[in-house]
Amino acid sequence: MLTISKLQFTWPKSSPPVLTIPKLHIARGEHVFLHGPSGSGKSTLLGLIAGTLDCQQGEIEIAGTNASALSRGQRDKFRADHIGTIFQNFNLLPYLSPVENVTLGCEFSKKRRQNISSQNKSLEQEAKLLLSDLGIDEHTQQRSVAELSIGQQQRVAAARAFIGRPEIIIADEPTSALDADSRDGFIKLLFSQAAVYSASILFVSHDKSLAPLFDRQISLPDLQQGAPLC
Amino acid sequence: MLIKLAWKSTLNRRASVALTLVTIAISVMLLLSVERVRQDAKSSFANTISGTDLIVGARTGDIQLLLSSVFRIGHANNAVQWQSYEYIKAQRGVAWSIPISLGDSHKGFAVLGTDASYFSHYQYAKKQHLTFAAGRPFHNGQEVVLGAMVAKKLGYQLGQKIVISHGMGNTSFHHHDDNPLVISGILAATGTPVDKTLHVPLSAIESMHSTGHSKPSRIVARKQDATHHEHEHEHEHEHEHEHEHEHDSKNNNALVHNLDSKPGDLIGSTKQITAFLLGFESPLYTLQVRRNINQYKGEPLLAIMPGVTLRELWEMLDIVEKILLLITLAVVLISLLGMLTSLLATLNQRRRELAILRSVGARPWHIFTLLISEAIFITVLGCAFGVALFYALLIAAQSGLQSQFGVVLSISALSTYELTLLSVIIGAGTLIGAIPAARAYFYSLADGMQIKT
Repeated sequence: MLTISKLQFTWPKSSPPVLTIPKLHIARGEHVFLHGPSGSGKSTLLGLIAGTLDCQQGEIEIAGTNASALSRGQRDKFRADHIGTIFQNFNLLPYLSPVENVTLGCEFSKKRRQNISSQNKSLEQEAKLLLSDLGIDEHTQQRSVAELSIGQQQRVAAARAFIGRPEIIIADEPTSALDADSRDGFIKLLFSQAAVYSASILFVSHDKSLAPLFDRQISLPDLQQGAPLC
Repeated sequence: MLIKLAWKSTLNRRASVALTLVTIAISVMLLLSVERVRQDAKSSFANTISGTDLIVGARTGDIQLLLSSVFRIGHANNAVQWQSYEYIKAQRGVAWSIPISLGDSHKGFAVLGTDASYFSHYQYAKKQHLTFAAGRPFHNGQEVVLGAMVAKKLGYQLGQKIVISHGMGNTSFHHHDDNPLVISGILAATGTPVDKTLHVPLSAIESMHSTGHSKPSRIVARKQDATHHEHEHEHEHEHEHEHEHEHDSKNNNALVHNLDSKPGDLIGSTKQITAFLLGFESPLYTLQVRRNINQYKGEPLLAIMPGVTLRELWEMLDIVEKILLLITLAVVLISLLGMLTSLLATLNQRRRELAILRSVGARPWHIFTLLISEAIFITVLGCAFGVALFYALLIAAQSGLQSQFGVVLSISALSTYELTLLSVIIGAGTLIGAIPAARAYFYSLADGMQIKT
């Protein structure tokens, strides 16, 4: 699903490359745990995969497309179509309802909308369905985003990432603001939702205690040293 | 979709947006009002007199003569002798003349002494003659013709008897109780000071002032006159009050007075007038007669061409107008800068919002559009509210402006000029909105999906 080869990235005005990844492959439906200390280049790697950063050297292939060869605009469109993102916290737009926050994931992607309409569902139906699956009941869906707990907010964000079935879900420390119980619960919900259409999950965290839950764990510093993985 | 997002995002920050909106609305209202008043004042003034070639009065400033004789603003300090008027009127080329005698008032409205030629020759706006809404011109010294607004404001009707007081202003020094006048006609509205004027024959003014005392030079000696009267009448005060009551009842009883009088003497033994208007058979006479009048040996006189003097007045006011316009434009600019400040201030807090939008696939130009449409929203809405406020103000201020300054405000649709002003403001708002939008654009390029708080 995701293949990175011979990737090298250097920030302008700084000489040593922050990121050198000889090879990384994530299979379809695989749940990968990526960890590394602060400053190890996690955010940079996510930026490169999501296409908000220019890939200077090497190749990133996502869902059969060489994403690193696309123009910026094409990458934005590509991201909208194929990648769902969950952030650390405050993932939601405060002025939209939970349902609107979820459908926002489809607003910039024709493909995701088509994925939903091909199942004969409206965007709103699908959003509500996803929210219910993720444990946000009908009543909570009507409330203002600001009234939701952080755990609920994160589940709404997860629903936004999953809507329209993007192939890859990037989760950037989505559980760091949650307590241990809801953290595990949240990850299980993620997995069960990903299992519905076998989405790949790239989960980034510095909390290694979560690692056992995943199919595979990758340490970014190890990856950088060029140890061939898979 | 983006528009919907922008709208909801704006609503989310409604408190600060509302403040920005109010400042823009007020500044737009100010600009529109200043411009409308400026233009309407100009056209009101320009419409007041037309077809008159020369205005002649005692020697004073050009503008002062114009203002006092036609606009009832300020006073004429000196009078013109009746013989001089008779002499100049008889000059070759003079087609018509209208004598004017000012200086009295009735409940705050000016009283103008003249003769029948006023109704046949006075022209306003685009060479329109005065027309009667009711009745006919005065026929003798006991009749009065009202301007439209005088009749409306004071509720006077044809045939009613009224008393005219001595001096200017609301509080008059002395009531000419012994000279009640019958309303013989009411003029149609003109939108000029004529509406606020009571027209009486010169003889009526003369008889008003000659009864009880025989001071011929009433205008020059008005002050002296007034104090004199006060003393004279102090002991008669009670008596006067009684008289007034009597009058009121009389007015009610004999509301419709007999108006069957025959045209009679309107001039009487008039010795002085304030000014006179001249019309010539051909405009070619104007300059020559003007020179003759200005060199008239009998007394120092001044003849002005109303159009020329009006233009001089505009030139004088031009700088004031321009400064006023500049100030209002500055107010508009400041309100737009206020919008810029609030947009920029919130931008940093909104970087998270922008990152979320980027993560779901929004392109930098989407972000740009989002931000700029917000600025356009605020400006357009501010302009709309401003226009609404402007009309509210116009309706509120209309009657006051008309009665105080004789400026008739037109409550008409926005002119192309005003629409141009509005579109310039909206354009400027858009341009200013492009600043935070461009910043957000570059933020979103640099930040990508990273959330910076």
